[in-house]
Amino acid sequence: MSDRLIRVNAYTTLDLVDGRARGHEFEADAPGVVNVTAPREDPERVTLEVELDNTAIDALTAHADEVALSPAQARTLAEALESTADRVEAAQRDEDDTA
Amino acid sequence: MPTDVENWKSEVYGNEIRDHLFEFAEQGFDSIPDDERDAWFERFKWWGLYHQRNGQEGYFMMRIGTPNGVLEPGQLRVVGEIADEYARGPGTNPIFGDAYADFTTRQSIQLHWIELSDVPAIFEKLEENGLSTQQACGDSWRNIVGNPVAGKDAQEVIDAWPVIRELNETFKGNDDHANLPRKWKVSVTGSADGSGQGDINDLAFEPAYKEIDGEDVVGFNVRVGGGLSRNEPRLAREIDVWVAPDQVSDVAGGLSALFRDNGDREDRYNARIKFLVDEWGPERVRETLQDEYVDFELETVGRDVREEYTYNTGAGERNDLVGVHDQTDGTNFVGLNVLVGRMGAADVLDLADLAAEYGSGEVRLSQRQNVIVTDVPDAALDDFLDEPLLDHYSPDPSPFMRGSVACTGTEFCSLSIVETKNRQVRFARWLKANVDLPVGVDEFHIHLSGCTASCAQPQIADVSLRGMKTRKDGDPVEALDVGLGGGLGDEPQFARWVTQRVPVDEVPGAIANLIESFAAERDEGESFRAFVARHDDDELDAFVDPEETDYEDPMMHNTKRTWYPYAENDAMEDAPSPPADD
Repeated sequence: MSDRLIRVNAYTTLDLVDGRARGHEFEADAPGVVNVTAPREDPERVTLEVELDNTAIDALTAHADEVALSPAQARTLAEALESTADRVEAAQRDEDDTA
Repeated sequence: MPTDVENWKSEVYGNEIRDHLFEFAEQGFDSIPDDERDAWFERFKWWGLYHQRNGQEGYFMMRIGTPNGVLEPGQLRVVGEIADEYARGPGTNPIFGDAYADFTTRQSIQLHWIELSDVPAIFEKLEENGLSTQQACGDSWRNIVGNPVAGKDAQEVIDAWPVIRELNETFKGNDDHANLPRKWKVSVTGSADGSGQGDINDLAFEPAYKEIDGEDVVGFNVRVGGGLSRNEPRLAREIDVWVAPDQVSDVAGGLSALFRDNGDREDRYNARIKFLVDEWGPERVRETLQDEYVDFELETVGRDVREEYTYNTGAGERNDLVGVHDQTDGTNFVGLNVLVGRMGAADVLDLADLAAEYGSGEVRLSQRQNVIVTDVPDAALDDFLDEPLLDHYSPDPSPFMRGSVACTGTEFCSLSIVETKNRQVRFARWLKANVDLPVGVDEFHIHLSGCTASCAQPQIADVSLRGMKTRKDGDPVEALDVGLGGGLGDEPQFARWVTQRVPVDEVPGAIANLIESFAAERDEGESFRAFVARHDDDELDAFVDPEETDYEDPMMHNTKRTWYPYAENDAMEDAPSPPADD
């Protein structure tokens, strides 16, 4: 495999997530790295980076995916993550209560 | 638009930082305004001070730059005394105790738990004894590295020590070269063993012959743009220049100025000269150097001695400088293994005494985090080797002890995501007790870095370990990516990363299984590096084969979230207050 593309250090947003790469002809579970970043000066976009461990996916060569988000898009995403996280936590609480 | 760091540097940088540093030391750590801390911590680096990580507020790492790793008689004792008096904090390391010194992969010394209020007294003591922290960190000329036994090594082509001294004197505190776009790492080597590791430096001078006026003259070939950091390792590139020893300073200054004027100050990730060399190519670097930065005609490249390189190559003699070796003057230098480069302050003082008793008192540091006692006469050698201290800092250690290099890790570093030094000690001890290398394989280098910054130089080891996380039995645990087959020499090679996220407690088993496969399947006399080279990544991944053994790792948890990994109450909310000013 090639080296990781995303730098991984204490400032990396998430150094361990459960991921899945899915295509028409393949599907592979893989741990991955997720990072949110922007240039220190004059940033125009928020960059969301995702890299799944290459050793766990035979169907793809080593790569990272990047999404460039406007601040408004980044906030929309953040709100969606927040509200969905709330919903998942609420569901977990309900499950705990009924267990 | 320049970066924050560039703006801070444009306001105050270089020598003038010292006055501010002393003022803050006088008024106390809390006198640094909260909204100026990032700026001042960045500037303090120029004077060798790094603020330690989250949870250790008010404590600093201090780096002492010892050019070429040379500690003149008496200087090691000074380092030991400073470590003993000042490098003590609220945390105790379970292996190394309360006060210790770290010898680094760039032949420098690092002390931890330094309080700002003690800095003036430490500087005074260092400077009285010819030592300095100036430019040990920050965006300028860093500590110059090379073959640590320059001037004494019987395998030397040319004595690089006078050249290194001249460069150090010229470019330390030199305002024209004090504020570069990024760090500037220089290696000058005069021996034919490659122990200056020039290939991984921004600027490398390597021994080479050139015919000048019909005579073979020894000087240096020049390479530019090497470095390991940020997942983008590069080997320094030949720029078709040979330089005579008396013009090294002109060429080095020219290239430093070229970098100062042309390096990327808008993106620190792209600032190192390796990226400028990528963009320009070696030819344009040479042309620009010739046209704008030197006032004499540059010679073309000379005949190098790279074929003779052995250092960190994975085969042949002198992969490191540990052991007893001949000096040119008939005495000996004795390389002692310092596991992961860390030595307790009491041991530092004992070693300083032994160096004075059996040698000249001089000690030198290698890029493999080891110490070398020089000038030991034949008549004193046996008694020196019998000293009890050398049972621990051995001139003939297990390959797993001598091959171990580790960075600072989560103990103090704000970048690392795993614990490193103590872990590498435990790995080495377990491997020594449980694993045998195949007959004829005497060296095996394992480098452990806590993140992708590569301070332990993981890409140039037989086995490269780099901090990651994984999940085990449902819990997140510290893990390591595994790379194989890196090394330097005539044909340097970066490690190939073949296995990801091995839980740390399964790494010794993985290495044992790897070595078992190597022993079973190697060709006769084949080095590990050659063995790796003839297998593909999947085959190598299968050889690594992680496995639990009787090795136990007490630091599986997320040590970056502790205030100090080894504290009894290690949670961030239990972090001590900044030290009171005294």
